[in-house]
Parts: sequence; structure tokens; C-alpha cells
Amino acid sequence: MKRRTFTRRRFMATTAAASATMIAAPFVRTASAAGKISIGFWDHWVPGANNATKTLTEEWGAKEKVEVQIDYIPSQGRKNLLTIAAEAQAKSGHDILAFPTWEPQGHANSLEPVDDVMGELIKQHGKVNPTVEYLGRANGKWIVVPATVGSQIKGPCSRIDLMKQHAGIDVVAMYPAGAPPKAEAWTLAAFMKAAEACHKAGKPFGIGLGTTSDSVDTAGAFFHAHGAALVDAKGTITVKSDKVRQALEYCTKLAAFLPPDAPAWDDSSNNKWLVAGNGALIMNPPSAWAVAKRDAPQIAAQCWTHGFPSGPAGRYAPFLPYFWGIWNFGKNKSAAKSLLLHLSSRAAAEKMVAASAGYDLPSFEKLTDFKTWAEEGPPKGTLYHYPNPHNHQILSVAAAPAPARIAHQIYVQGVQTKMIARVLKGEKMEAVLAWAESECEGFMRT
Amino acid sequence: MVDAVLQGVQTPGATRKRSSLRRTMQRKSTVAFLMALPLILMIAFLVIYPALYSLHLATLNKSMERFVGFGNFLFLFKRETFWKVVEQSCIFALTAVFFKAIIGFTVAHFVHNVPNDRQRKWRGMLLVPWVIPPAMSCLAWLWLFDPSYSAFNWVLGIFNIGPVPWTGDAFWARFSVILVNIWIGAPFFMIMYLAALKSVPDQLYEAAAIDGANWWQRIWYITLPMMRNIIAITALFSLIVTFANFDIVQILTQGGPIDLTHVFATWSFTLGIQGNDIPLGAAVSLFMVPILTVAAVFILRDITRRGNES
Amino acid sequence: MTDAALTAPKKHAANPRYGSMSRDRTWALRWSYFFLILFAIFFLLPPIYMLITSLKTSAEISAARNPWWVFNPTLENYRELLTSPQYLGYFRNSAIVSVVVVVITMLISVPAAFALSRMKFWGSSTLATGVFLTYLIPETLLFLPLFKMFALFNEWTGIQLINRWWVLLILYPTLTVPFCTWIMIGYFASIPKELDEAALIDGAGWMQTLTKIFIPVALPGLIAATIFAFTVSWAQFLYPLAFTTSTEQLVLPVGIITSLIKGDVFNWGQIMTGALLGAAPPLIIYAFLMDYYISGLTAGATKG
Repeated sequence: MKRRTFTRRRFMATTAAASATMIAAPFVRTASAAGKISIGFWDHWVPGANNATKTLTEEWGAKEKVEVQIDYIPSQGRKNLLTIAAEAQAKSGHDILAFPTWEPQGHANSLEPVDDVMGELIKQHGKVNPTVEYLGRANGKWIVVPATVGSQIKGPCSRIDLMKQHAGIDVVAMYPAGAPPKAEAWTLAAFMKAAEACHKAGKPFGIGLGTTSDSVDTAGAFFHAHGAALVDAKGTITVKSDKVRQALEYCTKLAAFLPPDAPAWDDSSNNKWLVAGNGALIMNPPSAWAVAKRDAPQIAAQCWTHGFPSGPAGRYAPFLPYFWGIWNFGKNKSAAKSLLLHLSSRAAAEKMVAASAGYDLPSFEKLTDFKTWAEEGPPKGTLYHYPNPHNHQILSVAAAPAPARIAHQIYVQGVQTKMIARVLKGEKMEAVLAWAESECEGFMRT
Repeated sequence: MVDAVLQGVQTPGATRKRSSLRRTMQRKSTVAFLMALPLILMIAFLVIYPALYSLHLATLNKSMERFVGFGNFLFLFKRETFWKVVEQSCIFALTAVFFKAIIGFTVAHFVHNVPNDRQRKWRGMLLVPWVIPPAMSCLAWLWLFDPSYSAFNWVLGIFNIGPVPWTGDAFWARFSVILVNIWIGAPFFMIMYLAALKSVPDQLYEAAAIDGANWWQRIWYITLPMMRNIIAITALFSLIVTFANFDIVQILTQGGPIDLTHVFATWSFTLGIQGNDIPLGAAVSLFMVPILTVAAVFILRDITRRGNES
Repeated sequence: MTDAALTAPKKHAANPRYGSMSRDRTWALRWSYFFLILFAIFFLLPPIYMLITSLKTSAEISAARNPWWVFNPTLENYRELLTSPQYLGYFRNSAIVSVVVVVITMLISVPAAFALSRMKFWGSSTLATGVFLTYLIPETLLFLPLFKMFALFNEWTGIQLINRWWVLLILYPTLTVPFCTWIMIGYFASIPKELDEAALIDGAGWMQTLTKIFIPVALPGLIAATIFAFTVSWAQFLYPLAFTTSTEQLVLPVGIITSLIKGDVFNWGQIMTGALLGAAPPLIIYAFLMDYYISGLTAGATKG
């Protein structure tokens, strides 16, 4: 008996042909799951990408005889954060809700543990990266399931022509489609040189220094590459360390080659920068390229998504996962778990990736080889390296490895980008470090 | 009181019980109270009670499990950003209201100069910014200020000026936020002042003209004193609204760059909703109340005076 | 009808009566026009730019040629929005919410203003001034406690208020009623006392006095208050952002900001179209009722 289950599971994992709900997971009372369930998904930026979650959920609802009600909640205007905060306060709302990066940690006490679901998924799809564990686990339990929808790596998206012309770098040769990267020379120093050259040529890199996630993530990756952390894993403030100084120095030097209003950039500024043809590189998931494909095809045809430059501490890329969580005050938790299993199957993930034109990213090891990434174009293969298929970058999130509640504040307040912007504005480095230290002290609140 | 007695006299025929009930119902104060009851209930349940509740929230710790008294306020006093937000909110509100008043007065004056049959058209055009929902007009401004596509910078580019970092640089970002606020609020001042201008009796100007008063003297000695009341009321009303403003800053700059345009409402939102620290956010919001109350004292005085005069 | 004097044409401003001053006045008039044109440009620039952008395709916008000129005008953005059930849904919600809120506001504020201006009761003068002070308490402070209250209400009665568009019918009056009551108190105060005393002597009850005498006389003030309430409910941003989530429950400003702007996706033609269409209803109402609005608003505020 035992053996049969095991083999069947292994079969499932390797072929991954059917949806996960078919597995007789003991925690899902399939027959009695009937009733109602309401889900608040993230309202996807890529047009049409919502269809994948809609079809998958309705298909599940029809099979399980559960009435599903789906809301798409945008992140614009911080609408999703408001909804999460409000539902947590009111202790009523959707059964399943999409939680952006840091939110699960903030609401750990209101979330239903999902160790059973995660155990199943890890068995099927392989390990998740440490960042997902860092953000999705609290008090030794999984509190959320990493969502394919909305998760992203914010690697560089370069203009093939401009990089070749002004910086002498052939990004396609460095990151060939369908093959491992040959990026040994792609270091922070090379990146700086390229930024300087493109700035001189009037096509500066489009990297923001604002407090929204695109800017914060990029700064975070540069800090990681120097091994610099504002607060360490034990919660000790380490702002005044040489590594932080080096990272800050590097970023400030780089910032001089960025657009003058970079401190005001939000998550759409870099996209517009690329689409308008103003710069040679931005740090973004493929949505900017997808928009360019629609509005400025000649620019899209020159875009190539690739990996981050490596620094003294390694090659870090910002990974920003989304999660699906179940409120512990929800009314239909077992149905919710069953649905999350269904949405996390390989087939489901593949559909979501396809519907989002490659934007969405499953967090599991064995789910980085979908054909969408290999085939999307033009130029063909531009997304091949987006999901980090050869594991040559360490996926991390800015402000890690500080304890999540502190890191969350560092991230939300954009302390790292503000540090850069302050030095850029002419403040002394030590004064800026003192400021950051006092900010971090303030984040120790419980 | 006279009328209450009259009411009693009007109903002699009814039975004793009914008439006493009727009398109670007809008693002026009871009727008045009943008429105002919906208003009282609404304010009590939807404003006062939640306000007291958030006062309670502001005394809890971050995870909302422990009572910390004034801990959150003391914490705020030690934060550099908090004082910056106080300063910015004051700069923001005072500058915006000042310029709204100046522009409103100037424009009202010019419209008043125009022949009456053409005033309507001008008034209509000049009122437009106030009528468009701020959330929507802010989008237009956001687009005009956009780093890559700014239409202003395009025009400046023709003269080889710029590009101006409209929302990117501390000075320009504050300038932009205040500019948009003035743009939205000035027409309201214009309309109020225009009406006040019209209520100044002509004879006063004629007398002044005969005495040889110049243009400036007429404004200083006749127009302004006659409009004193309405200037005060409009300015203070606008001060309250501007001080508590949320949408303009949230849409245009979200408080950036480096927190240099944050005001109370947006900073409280950042702390409370984005940072998951609801008590601290509530504490920041609460700070608006005492500051605004100072302004309210003036309003109160004006309104009481108005009540006494009538 | 004191307010009539405000809008009725007065000869003074137009007709130079003093021969020696007539040249001064022509110059004053020219300068006035000059500055008015400048101010009109400043005031109308954003809406005009909205219109220009709304007539462009995304491709033309991203080409970043002269932003002040439309090279290939298209009505595609308008067609798309006006045929999108989602956008029309926002429009419908906004219209219903605004109209009902106006009615509720009037039902609360007119009797209250009447009671507070004409009939004294214990605490009435405090209330009359206190009403205005509710604006001192900002919405940013209130929405979270309100959330808890509504959740509790749901527990007690089983009626869900959160994420339903009609929760706005409960919330918006807190923003409209104080100002409307205040304006109406001012307006009622300007009505001569003899009028209602005469009515009462004739045997009219208080309600009759209000409906038969006060409301007709104070009609311009009432219209002003109505327009104010409509504009405020049409424009409100924070409460609908916090209290409604599902697409079919959203009202216009939130619908446009959250669903037309898609972070990474470039959609400015459509956003500007949506904003312009959203601004249209209040603009149209003003175009027709502006005179009442101005006279009513200012009479209410200046009387005394």
C-alpha cells in the first residue's frame, strides 16, 4: 500500500501530467469541499494573464462542485496592501488572498499553516530557493504557498544594439539562448564601465532610486553582491561596516551615470524609459519588453533579458515572489488547500507562464524549463535566461537576511535607495550611515 | 418661545392624553432635536466613535497585543522623519493656501472688472480645475511631469532648457505638489471672493473715487476690510482640507524623493498599511487633529460671530 | 432672495460713469483680459492635455514626438472604454452612489440645519459649530476603525458591508453632510424671522414651515448644497479605495487608478480618456447650474 502511493507520486512528479488534486492528499476532504470559496488574486499587469487563473480556478470549482468567486485586486495605489490590512483587521474577507513579498510575515498570526500543501509540492516539483523559505515560513511552519502569478526575477533587460555600440558588450554572446551563460567577465566593474559608456553616449541605464520595488530590488542586489547587509540575520545592526561602505560607494558612483530624476522613479518609469528608447538597460521582468513589442516593435526586437553582474560576494539577482495564503479565520480552509494544490501543478504553472508571456515564475526547482521562455520573441530566446535556468545567480531579496519584520521595514522604506540618493545629493557618507543606523534602530519595534 | 405657546393654543379640542403627547411632540426643542437626530447619530457613529477607536489603536504596540500608552508618540518624537513630515505638512499647507488665496483674489478681481455679460464664460472656464475629481486631474499632472514623456520638458527643450526633474528633485517635487494643489484649490477661492466683491456696495467705491483714492487704496481700505470674514473662512476651510490631503501627494510622488514630500496622511499610510504598523500610522494621523484644532479655533470664532449677528 | 442681487447684472462694473476715469477703465479692462487669458491657460492646460493624449494611440505616445499635437487622431480609446462592461460598471456605480448620497445628504442636513438655525434645543449651538469640526478628523484616521466596526456589524446581523458599493452610501454622507448643513444654516439664517413666525401664527406646524416656506425660499442654497454633495461623492478616493475590492463594486476614480494603470504597462491614452470621461458629469452639471451654485454657496457663507 505504502509503496504504491510512493510510486504513484513519483510518477506524478516526473510526468506532471495531471493536476495535483488527483493525489489523495489526506488533508483535503474532497467530497465535502463543496460550498463556496472566494479568492482574491493579484490583478496581473500583462493583458490577458488573468485568464489563466480564472480558467484553472473555474475548472477546479466545476470538478469539486465548489462555487468560486474571484476578485482581481490590483497593486496599483497599494490597493492589495489595503485589502490585506483591512481583512486582517476585520477578520473576514477572501478565503485565499494573494500576498506580495513581505506581507505573509506581517500577518503570520492570521495565516493558516500550509506545511501539508508545501510538503506535497516540494515532493513533486523539487526544492524552493532560500528566499522563498525566508519569506514564506514563520515559526517553523509554511504559512503561504509561493504563487506562480506575479513572482519575478528583476534581471537586466538590455538593448543588444546599444550595448554593443556604446559599451562593446555582446549580451547575446554572453547569454546565448538555450545554453549556459558565459558571463565570467560580466562583473560589477564591467557593469560600471558599460553604464559610464552608455551615459556618455546619451543612452543611460534606466535604473531608479525611488522607494518602489524595482528600485529597491536593484539596490538590494548590488548590496548583496558586496556582501553588505544593514541588519544581519541575528538582528544586529551592521550599517557601519566596510562592506556597506563599499556597496554604497559603488552604487553612488553608478548613480552618477543614471538619469537625473532617478530618485523619483516608480515601477513604471524604467519601462517607459526602455519603450521610449532612452536607455541601454533596465532592471525589470519581461513586461517592459512585452509592452515594447506592442508599441515599439523595433525596440523590442533589440531587447535581451539576462543575468546580473557578479560582485565580490557572488552573483545575486533580485527575486520577488508572490504568495497565496489562507486566512485562519476563513470558512472553507480545506477547499482552499485543495485549490492551491491545483493551482500549483506543473500544468497550471505552465499555463500561467504562457498567459503572462513569460512574466510569471514558479518558485520550484524543476519548473524553470517551460517552452514559453525558450520560444518567446522577437528576438527569439530573449526570455531564455529570465528564469535563471542554469542557477548561476543567487536569488535573493533586498534587506535579507535581517529578521523579516525588520527587513520588511527596510524594504518598504527603501532605506538602501534613500542612502544612495542622500549621498548623491551631497551628504557625507558617514552622516548617511548614521541616518540609516537610526532608521534601522527605529525598525526594531515589535 | 412665543410660537410654542401659540401651538398650545391651537389645539384645545383634543383629549387630554393625546394633547399632552402632541404637546410634547410639538414642543419646539423636542421637534428640533428629532430633526437633528440623524445628523447627531451619523457624527457619533461614523466619526466620533471611530476616532476614539483609533485613539485606542494608537496606544497599542506594533503587533497590537500590548498597551503602550504614549509609547508610540514618544517613539515618533525621536524620529527624524517625523519632524520632517511635520515641517513639510506645514510648508505644504501654508504655501498652498497662501498662493491659492492670492491667485483666487487676483483672478476674482480681474473677472470682476470684466463686463457682466462676459463674466459667466470666464467664471465657467476658471472653475474647471475645482470640478474635475482630484484623483483624475492628478493623473494628467503626473503624465505632464513624467520623467520620460514630460510635455513640459518637451516645450522647455525647444528653448534648450531642462529637462526639469519635476518629481525627482526635492525642490521641484515640492514645487510640483504645491503647484497642483494650488491649481485645484484656487478656483474655489476665486468664486468665494468674487461673490464677496460683488457684495461690496458700489457707493463705497464711488465715495472713495471722489476722495481721490487710487486703485491700491481702494483695495486696501475698502475691498479687503469688507471681505475680511469670507477670506478668513475660506482660508481656514482650505487649510483643513489641504493639511489632511492624501490623494495629490499619493498619486504624484508617493512621498518621494527621500521622503521629502511626505505629509501626514501619506506618511501615516506608508507606515500603517505598507509597513504593517497600524498603531504607529494611527498615531501619525492623530497628530493632525491638535494642529488643525488651532485653526479651528479661528473658524469657531468666526462662525459664532456670524451666529450672533444674524 | 438676497442672493439674486449677486448674480443680477449690475451696471457699475461695466459702465464707466466718470468721464475722467474712462480711459483708466479701458486699460484696466485690457489688463484684466490679458491676465485672465494667462490664468485660463494655466487652469485649462491639464484638461486640454488630457484631451490631446486621449486622442492618440499608444504607439504615437511612445514615439514621443511633439506631445502637444495629435498626428493620427483616433477615437479608439473612447470606443474601447465605452464598450467595456467593466468601465461602464464603474460609471454606473459612481452615478448611483452619487445620486443616492445627494438624497441622503439632503434628508439629513436640511432638517438639521433648520432645527439648528431656527429652533434651539439643549446643545444646539454647540452642535451648529461642532458640525463643521468633523472635517478636522481626517479619513486616513477613520478607515481602519470603520473596518472593524463593519466586521462586527457583520457578525451581529449577518449583513456584509465590506466590499459592497453601498457601503459608500453610509460613508460619503460623513463628508458631505457637515458642509451642506453649515451652508444651509447660513442660508436659513438669512431668511427673515417674520416669515416663519407668520406661518406659525397661521397654524402651520414646524414641518410645514420647513417644506412650504423655507425650502422654496432657500432653493438656490439647496441647489448649491446638492452640487457640492454630488461633486464630493463623485470625487472621493480613499474610502472606496479602502472599502471596495471587487471589480464590479468599484467606483470611477478608484476604478481608473487601479485598473487602467497597470504598473508596467503603458496605457496613457486610455487612462487620460477614462479620466476625462470621469470628469465629464460634474463638468456638465456645473455648466448648467453654475450660477445657482455660486450664489447659493456664497450666500450661505457670507450671510450674517
